[in-house]
Amino acid sequence: MTRVRRLLIVGLFLVFAPVAAMAVSPTYKLQVDGLACPFCAYGVEKKLNAVNGVKAIEIDIKSGTITVTMTDGATLDEAKARTAVEAAGFALGGFQNLSPAAPGGSE
Amino acid sequence: MRTANEAYRFRLVHWCSMFVVALSMLWTVDSVGAPMTFNTALPVAEGEFVFREQFILDKSGDDPSGAGRDRTVWSAVSVLGYGVNSDLSLFTAVPYVDKHLELINSGSRRARSARGLGDISIFARYTAFKNNFRGGSFRVAPFAGVEAPTGADNESDSFGRLPASVQPGSGSWDPFAGVVATYQVLDFQIDAQASYRLNTQANRFEFGDVARVDASLQYRLWPRVLGAGVPGFLYGVLETNLIHQEKNQSAGSDDPNSGGLSLFVLPGIQYVTRRWIVEGGVQLPLFQDLNGTALEKEYIVRAGFRLNF
Repeated sequence: MTRVRRLLIVGLFLVFAPVAAMAVSPTYKLQVDGLACPFCAYGVEKKLNAVNGVKAIEIDIKSGTITVTMTDGATLDEAKARTAVEAAGFALGGFQNLSPAAPGGSE
Repeated sequence: MRTANEAYRFRLVHWCSMFVVALSMLWTVDSVGAPMTFNTALPVAEGEFVFREQFILDKSGDDPSGAGRDRTVWSAVSVLGYGVNSDLSLFTAVPYVDKHLELINSGSRRARSARGLGDISIFARYTAFKNNFRGGSFRVAPFAGVEAPTGADNESDSFGRLPASVQPGSGSWDPFAGVVATYQVLDFQIDAQASYRLNTQANRFEFGDVARVDASLQYRLWPRVLGAGVPGFLYGVLETNLIHQEKNQSAGSDDPNSGGLSLFVLPGIQYVTRRWIVEGGVQLPLFQDLNGTALEKEYIVRAGFRLNF
């Protein structure tokens, strides 16, 4: 019985640990206006990577969107995102917090 | 001892070749942006660098003077761009040149050549207007700079001092300015530029000023349908260059066998990724209305790469 209980605990941990980890890595979706070629995309990527707390960046050039994942506990505010995007020569057309408990973003 | 006819022919070679040098210098200096033969208005991110290397084979011949002139210039032009902020960028272009001129003189073929660092250019570009929209942008950016006399301009060989057309440098400070506009969307990019170069005197010689209008279309050939992420783009490139050069001046007199109007077309190809670009094309003359017996351009081959770092 004890063995079954242990297995159950380990199983629950394996199932919920990734979910818990995702919950503390805030993710944002940025609409970047002006983005239209791969070489230019790298300029924005570098500026966003330089923002404190940024863990990963994923660019989709077709939609002109950039998904920014922060390190655990870090957040990205719209002003910082705008500064980084504009430093690369582009414009921030929309900012959305994709984290589950977020109140939503602006478009 | 040269006859008067030979001396005249030699002077023709000398002056006409200078015209070719002036054109090739202008092209190399402007080779900074997305097009292969001139600039672009696309931004360099603040505090970031871009680097470009272009290798150029510039061939002139088809000598109308009968002197059998044949001119070949190999160049490697290194360009470094820096974004001071999102609107202001600074560029420096450092050319290394290898120039070779052959001509028939006194019945025998004579070759004259020189190689070394050319004239370094520095210039600034400011984005005066930009409209960023979803999936594209339109920008207009004036630029201005100067070509400094960093290349040797007093080289000589066993026949004496080399003509200016074979010297690695011009010896003069030559300011230039212009404006470039870029319209870019996901499927294609159009660049257009108008510029003027004021060539100044050195060694009692002055290349004619150059005015030019350039246009470039880069059309995405592959992938035809964009997927997710940032795929590499393969662009087909078509560029045109309309160039007018005034007559050169030597010791205050116009050279009647220099300057004129030329129109070039460049079909080429570019593969563009996030970090690098490779490109190549051949620039061909469509029309050359040159003064007197100015040496005509045959073709210019361009190949190179750019790095984002």
